[in-house]
Amino acid sequence: MMPRWSVAAGAIVMAMGLMGCVAQTHPQDLFQLQEESLRNRAMQTRVFETKDEAELLSASAAVLQDLGFQIEESVREVGFLRAAKERSAREYGQDISRFGIFVLSTGLIFVQQPPIIIAVDLHQKIAATLVTRPINADATRQEVRVVFYRVVWKGDGSAGNQSIAPGEQRMEMLRDPVMYQTFFAKLSKAVFLEPFAL
Amino acid sequence: MRHRVVETLIAWVVVAITFGCTPPQPTPDLLAPTDAQMKIRSIQTHSFDVKDRQTAMRGVIAALQDLGFIIERANESLGLITAARFAEPNFYDIVGISVTIRSETDGRTTIRANAIYNNKPIEDPKVYQNFFATLERSLFVVKQ
Repeated sequence: MMPRWSVAAGAIVMAMGLMGCVAQTHPQDLFQLQEESLRNRAMQTRVFETKDEAELLSASAAVLQDLGFQIEESVREVGFLRAAKERSAREYGQDISRFGIFVLSTGLIFVQQPPIIIAVDLHQKIAATLVTRPINADATRQEVRVVFYRVVWKGDGSAGNQSIAPGEQRMEMLRDPVMYQTFFAKLSKAVFLEPFAL
Repeated sequence: MRHRVVETLIAWVVVAITFGCTPPQPTPDLLAPTDAQMKIRSIQTHSFDVKDRQTAMRGVIAALQDLGFIIERANESLGLITAARFAEPNFYDIVGISVTIRSETDGRTTIRANAIYNNKPIEDPKVYQNFFATLERSLFVVKQ
């Protein structure tokens, strides 16, 4: 008879294999415009009627600073800015479910297992990259495109006798339209210009 | 019978050790360009009918942003752009790309892209074809 641990190990390997299959991606698809590329572009882009690209770029930097970002890198020649801010990522919902799962799993004590403590999000770094560029030949129209994303660090937890070390990382693109609308509303106020969408 | 098995084993071990001991001799053409290298370089390089290098750089940045890349670094004086993105919908695999833009004397611009997928270089020509197709569209929009 096969030992029990080998069955368990086999099951884990199979589960991992299955998970791998679900999330499989092909590099060649990633270099092709997708359906959502256009939608994202429209959400992240506004056009301003101005000749002064440097003014637009410095106004963008000021707006990012107003929103609490630190400017990390800037290249004026190609109209590029990168900024980031670090904030707490604590959410009550996660703490409540952490507590709920802890209470529900206290039953595990009867099988001599400690209760499960899930790891919650602790800290996050929100980053923005911004690019301005002229979109017509005599450069009277400038396009501003901003992309927000974030990195989240998790706290510690434990499952069974295994403890989960803190510091697990996760990254995601931020695709909330309200966030972009807020940014462009502030930017248009800063440059006294009415932007229009593509 | 048993002796023979042991003898064969010893013989194999000796063979393995002797092979392990002979170091591979470096050949004089160790750093010489190979056919594979030349092929990859030609796949990764594309020349465009753009005079101004800055316009080309802006086009590259716009194309990368359209493809959902996060621009990490741009260096105007070197004509260098680095960017990365997740292999969405999953957020575990990462695609990185670095692009160099150089003006040629004949009024054209040469653009070379190196892409990596989870730290492994991408050598599939289709990937670069797709990238240059997107880039061409982006440069064309800039020119209008």
